[in-house]
Amino acid sequence: MITDFPKNPLPLPDPAEVGAELAAFGGGQIIPKDLRRTVFPVITKEDVFTLMLAQRQAPEKVVADFAEAYRAYVGAGWALPTASGTSSLHLALVGAGVQPGDEVIVPAFTFIATAQAVVAAHAVPVFVDIDPRTYCMDPEAAAAAITGRTRAIMPVHVHGLPADVPALRALADKHGIALVEDASHAHSARIGEQVAGSFGDAAGQSLMADKNFPLGGEGGIAFFREESAYRRAADYVRRHGIDYEMSWIAAAFGSGQLARLPYYDAVRARNARVLGQALDETGLFSAPYVPEGHVHAYNMYRIGLHPERAGLEDLPVWAVKEAVHELLVAEGVPAREWQNTPIPCHLPFRHRDGFGGGYPFSLNPGAVRDHRPQDFPVTVGMLESTLVLCRELRAPVEYERLLRYADAFRKVARRPDAIRKLVADGDYRRPYEKAARLG
Amino acid sequence: MELFDTATVLTRVLTTGVVMSIEKNDRELPGLERLLTKRTGRARAVLVNSRSAAVHSALAGQGIGHGDEIRQRGLGEKDRAFLAWLGVTVREDGPEDATPAFDHIALDAGDVHRLGELAAEATAPALVVDLTGLGFGPAAAVLTDDPALQARAERLKIFGAYDLRTMWTQQEDAADLVPGVQFNYRLSPLVAACVRMALGQATRTPASSGAAS
Repeated sequence: MITDFPKNPLPLPDPAEVGAELAAFGGGQIIPKDLRRTVFPVITKEDVFTLMLAQRQAPEKVVADFAEAYRAYVGAGWALPTASGTSSLHLALVGAGVQPGDEVIVPAFTFIATAQAVVAAHAVPVFVDIDPRTYCMDPEAAAAAITGRTRAIMPVHVHGLPADVPALRALADKHGIALVEDASHAHSARIGEQVAGSFGDAAGQSLMADKNFPLGGEGGIAFFREESAYRRAADYVRRHGIDYEMSWIAAAFGSGQLARLPYYDAVRARNARVLGQALDETGLFSAPYVPEGHVHAYNMYRIGLHPERAGLEDLPVWAVKEAVHELLVAEGVPAREWQNTPIPCHLPFRHRDGFGGGYPFSLNPGAVRDHRPQDFPVTVGMLESTLVLCRELRAPVEYERLLRYADAFRKVARRPDAIRKLVADGDYRRPYEKAARLG
Repeated sequence: MELFDTATVLTRVLTTGVVMSIEKNDRELPGLERLLTKRTGRARAVLVNSRSAAVHSALAGQGIGHGDEIRQRGLGEKDRAFLAWLGVTVREDGPEDATPAFDHIALDAGDVHRLGELAAEATAPALVVDLTGLGFGPAAAVLTDDPALQARAERLKIFGAYDLRTMWTQQEDAADLVPGVQFNYRLSPLVAACVRMALGQATRTPASSGAAS
């Protein structure tokens, strides 16, 4: 039988391993190769039973019941379940009143789907830089990008941290334009008591199986504050013959998972806190920044690097990052870059073919720019000085695994000499000089 | 469909823990692709999450997009509306026997065993097979013998990535593969597993024709 049951337990942490030789130089690995598997999503007997029951119900009812349960959890006005996060963002924009040729302001740092959803709505994405601490859209940069053709601002709650919604809301209100959230990383993320997905005039959210709140495969959901926006989106897909419906199988799986979401959220928050304390003690590393009153969902966990605290200030930070990346991966902690160049520098936004013949960019040539990475210095600076944990911390990992992650970071931080040697010997390049990566 | 069989298939996939469409350990999506190519006699399959996604992929796979025109007879109102949204003009004039841009088949539980027979009658470079009627949620596929059509269609559905090896890069060798608009048209493995079961069972039903098996 093919099963995801882990075959071997991870040994308890051993302080002696932290002082041992680095794995990259022949020492032992903090997490040995055959013990690296992280199971996500967690699938339980309840999930199986929910699916068994669902196949005896009308498919439309399974999807509608799921959407209603999750809408109530988020506290949004109206919900439209979809086949993917991208389609949910497309419909959120349509519901918010975005028309062909309109400009929609999006952050230069996000997953490419944010910007492609704008193109799907036959509108033109206008890219702006991010805040250096939250990595979310910079409200001042957004303000500077507003023109007479801007119809919406679409911040992304990057990695699960809500963007500066109060400032962006005020900006949208001042100009009479819509605030549309990309909440694809931000399940259960909060500002105060309000949940991401309910802040804006509309929101889109991915529910694919690798998100904090996973459905059975692929799925998404669009939220709307007003019924009129919901109706506009629902009419749009009917009128244009677009099939964006969610499968009942994906929805049924989500119904089971929703009941356990608060439990997994609590485990993620606890694990983020434990690892964050360990990182902050290393000097070289820092935990993600979370503004007062914000609740981070930790779909991804972006770690800062500070070479100056380790006597490495003479080295380029991107080279230090690459060396540290190598050392961590060798220890068995699969850290990632998760993006290496601003989204407007990805091929589809350099060529801008769109649906063909340059549509919809051709509708509004004035909104189109040929961007270089340096146009977004904060994004580039962040990409050059941070590393990300994804599924490794999204999953409710064993406590001993969490402690071993912390040990891997401690072990690497103790060896600035090794980092210096790798930088001297390595042929490292800036992240954006490599081919643009999706994730 | 026998409920017991759907239950067994769903439980089997859940037990593997692999429910995401871009997992390297997923076997359900490649399994359904293989079955569809075998059953239709086409070399390549692109699985997608709906009929309109398949129509979009069939056209984008041939480089047909906004501002282009196709000659195609007998499309339903919904397909025509979708093509208009893509910016593709449909003309119904021209010779009766002209090859259309794509052929389309919609299967349900009653005629799932006729896939081979229906595919054999299709002549277009792309064959859209709508699998939604089988009852597992929106699902469809594009079948083709043209590797370039498949390559472009795959890139439309997964943000420029073709497979797990290229999943995380957008670098392309061929200039005509540079992506334009991109969607997430990916089919879920759980849905694929059920569709595969339904197609598999169809071979055990006595077919009224010489359907390939």
